[in-house]
Amino acid sequence: MTQQRFLSHEGLVALVTKLVAAGTQVIAPVRASDDVEQVDYRPISKLDEAAFGVRLPRRPLKELFLPPTEVLLYYRQTKDGVEISEVPTNARPRVILGAVPCDAAALEVVDHVMSWDYKDELWFARREATTIVSLLCNLMDAACFCTAVGLGPESFRGSDVLLVPSEGGGYVAYIVTPKGEALLNDSLAEASEAAFAAAEAARSEARKKVEPNLPSIPAEFSQWLAKNFNDPIWKTLSLRCHGCGACAALCPTCHCFDIVDEHDGSEQGVRRRNWDSCQTAKFTMHASGHNPRATQAERFRQKVQHKFSIYPSRFGEILCTGCGRCSRNCPGGMDLPEIVSELMAKAQAGPEVNKQ
Amino acid sequence: MKELQELARKLLTEGTVKVVIGYEQGPRGVRPVFVTDAADCEKLIFDRRCVTNLATYLNPRRKPIAQLGKAAIVVKGCDARSVAGLIREKQVERDSLAIIGVRCGGVLEDPEGDAELTSETVSVRCGGCEVREPKLHDYLLGELPPEPPVNPRRNEQIAALMKMSPAERRKYWDEQLSRCIRCHACREACPMCFCVQCTADKSQPQWIDTSATLRGNRAWQTMRVLHQAGRYVDCLECERACPEHIPLGLLARFVADSVEPRFDYVASDDPAACTPMGVFRTDDEEEFIR
Amino acid sequence: MNIYQPHLMRIQEITDETIDTRTLKLEFRDPSVAAEFHFSAGQFGEYSVFGEGESTFCIASSPTRKGYIECSFKATGKVTNALRRLDVGDTLGFRGPYGNHFPLEEMKGRSILFIAGGIGLAPVRSVIWNVLDLRDQFKDITIVYGARTVADLVYKRELEEWGKRSDVKLCLAVDPGGQTPDWKGLVARIPTAVEQTVTNSVDTFAVICGPPIMIKFTLPVLAKLAFPGERIYTTLENRMKCGLGKCGHCNIGPTYVCKDGPVFTAAQIQALPQEF
Repeated sequence: MTQQRFLSHEGLVALVTKLVAAGTQVIAPVRASDDVEQVDYRPISKLDEAAFGVRLPRRPLKELFLPPTEVLLYYRQTKDGVEISEVPTNARPRVILGAVPCDAAALEVVDHVMSWDYKDELWFARREATTIVSLLCNLMDAACFCTAVGLGPESFRGSDVLLVPSEGGGYVAYIVTPKGEALLNDSLAEASEAAFAAAEAARSEARKKVEPNLPSIPAEFSQWLAKNFNDPIWKTLSLRCHGCGACAALCPTCHCFDIVDEHDGSEQGVRRRNWDSCQTAKFTMHASGHNPRATQAERFRQKVQHKFSIYPSRFGEILCTGCGRCSRNCPGGMDLPEIVSELMAKAQAGPEVNKQ
Repeated sequence: MKELQELARKLLTEGTVKVVIGYEQGPRGVRPVFVTDAADCEKLIFDRRCVTNLATYLNPRRKPIAQLGKAAIVVKGCDARSVAGLIREKQVERDSLAIIGVRCGGVLEDPEGDAELTSETVSVRCGGCEVREPKLHDYLLGELPPEPPVNPRRNEQIAALMKMSPAERRKYWDEQLSRCIRCHACREACPMCFCVQCTADKSQPQWIDTSATLRGNRAWQTMRVLHQAGRYVDCLECERACPEHIPLGLLARFVADSVEPRFDYVASDDPAACTPMGVFRTDDEEEFIR
Repeated sequence: MNIYQPHLMRIQEITDETIDTRTLKLEFRDPSVAAEFHFSAGQFGEYSVFGEGESTFCIASSPTRKGYIECSFKATGKVTNALRRLDVGDTLGFRGPYGNHFPLEEMKGRSILFIAGGIGLAPVRSVIWNVLDLRDQFKDITIVYGARTVADLVYKRELEEWGKRSDVKLCLAVDPGGQTPDWKGLVARIPTAVEQTVTNSVDTFAVICGPPIMIKFTLPVLAKLAFPGERIYTTLENRMKCGLGKCGHCNIGPTYVCKDGPVFTAAQIQALPQEF
């Protein structure tokens, strides 16, 4: 049950200044240094460094919680054997200001696997230390489909606060969690009825802009995918796919990783966790040389199955927040809404034409 | 592009080829297409938005494509140089391909764009193009357009870099390469990166770190770019694929520009031409190698 | 301490089972970990050489034997080759136990038929010793084990021990051409050895592990003997990394080998998408 209050522009400026002074890292969308038309999430020291409402940030929030590479432990060879040093599992307090709702929601979606029987302290230390203030999204384009996966540009999912631009450069602030309350409590005023009504209208308007891109994906789709594992459509849909894995790198919910050891001299080194992608050929390669997913058709199938069937069957939700980055960046021209549409059309066309 | 569509229809109906690898209008700009049904030939287009180098799809390891059967491939002059490279390096047999060359007057930077070709919108690699009419072909279509405008951006970047001291240049590249996440999208998108097992993937011995640290990233990118020496066609697929927007083409161009004056060679669209790094001759200029 | 942090182990003993298969007996360097550590037969771990990486093997020793664990492996890659360079007294890492296990509780009071080929005996050996250490809780125990040649048989000392026991029926086999002049066992591939040794499946569980081709041709033999798919247990191998369900490497459709396995029934495996 969210409460709606009002956060003025001055209030936000002051909050950022206060946080930075207290040593809390404040991260916001900022115009990219290599291309001012693009936006990246970066630390800021003042509110006016932020670029809200310009463009979807090129990369999601994922790397702030699961970095492309991170040390799991340090080791050192000694006379008696090996000594290992732990990495700290506490994290610096951070506030993400102006996150897009699809990026915020993604973090909660990935929480499921990160807490599946074994709690990943590295992920959760950063989750616990971070407060996420999202901004109502009006940056949608034809590649977006957040509404099809049960989310939306107006969604609270994964956010501690959702801000909706309002009068005088201020915001109607939807306080979603106690963490959000604790962050903003001193900065808030009452929101007028009119301001609240306008914010609600803005939220539903935003939603209407995305809905036409792809219809809501029904629960049965997950089961259809599982039953039609051997359908020849995987081959034809994946011909233009390079297996480059850029999609996985940019995806807010892709979290697969590799664990490797690296020397740092002859006596010591590190064990690291690195991003990995099911789209690469060696992802499932056995030491014997046998590869259960030997061609791009199988690897592409795995991606779609994992996101739209396997993860839902295990954790109850789709491993995708409809942000569209995979489609926008694909050098081969793959388009996920198009692919999902084609698969859903086949699912709706009737009972399994191709049996396992 | 009726000429192209009719040719494709003819090749498929007569069974000369089983698939035409070309370009189509996708949901977001022009993208590769694999036409196996003559009825679908109307999808095939060719215009200034046809940026992609389709030669990457000829890699024999791409089994689902190879299994479709004999292919016809639509190439611009620059793409033909990649096809020539694949033939020269024995990845593809000349007879196994029908090469549809299309005369080209330059392509846009962005396959999603719709702008006219200007010095700002044209791809940085098109200016001064000497292969607007692909010489490696079985069929040659289209009319010869005027020369493409020159986009000065890349040359300006290179000039700026060459003015820097080595230390400054090192700092610039360290900044760029520290963003690399070792996803290897550059490698997968590159037509000339066809090794069955990439050196970077070898673990016995572990030649380079696999982690996205500066040490490993420097090793990876310089190694990959050095492997392009004498083979580089500047198609910039690597740059388009890179999710971190690292100017990989800039690094590779430097290597290519180093090869040209020393060996009087740029990547050729003649499969019979010998690459400087790909040939050993007993009368080599350099004594150490004889 | 995060979940990816291994226990430190010391190599107590090295046994070369064959030219290429080695068994390491490992003790926990931390006595308090040693005292608390427990696992169930069938579970696996991530064994690591610091500086080289981690590798996945089952725990080949029995849970009934405290204070140490054993693993058996062939040197095929970077980490296993590094493991072979280690000596008695050297330190390595161990994370585990992970995965599910053989349902010994279900099998109590019934008979068990163990079938293994080559190094596939390693995970099965854990169950065998577990059962033999609680022998009176089970009915008939039959072991059918074979390899390509006599030299390829692993755990040779234990094969001898099992053969001498009156409460175990042991059948050893080598492939035709793999026998030595003094070989006293069968000369037959495993499917044939099973046919010749096993007469019925009454009240019996089958535990089978070995090369995929061996399993492929033995399952029909078990079917003919009327073993239902739900009473045949095997282990699946897949490329694993974290061992605890997060890294995404080991799934076969919705089944995670590291969480739902590595122990599966033949019925479960038949229902999996054929992507392994």
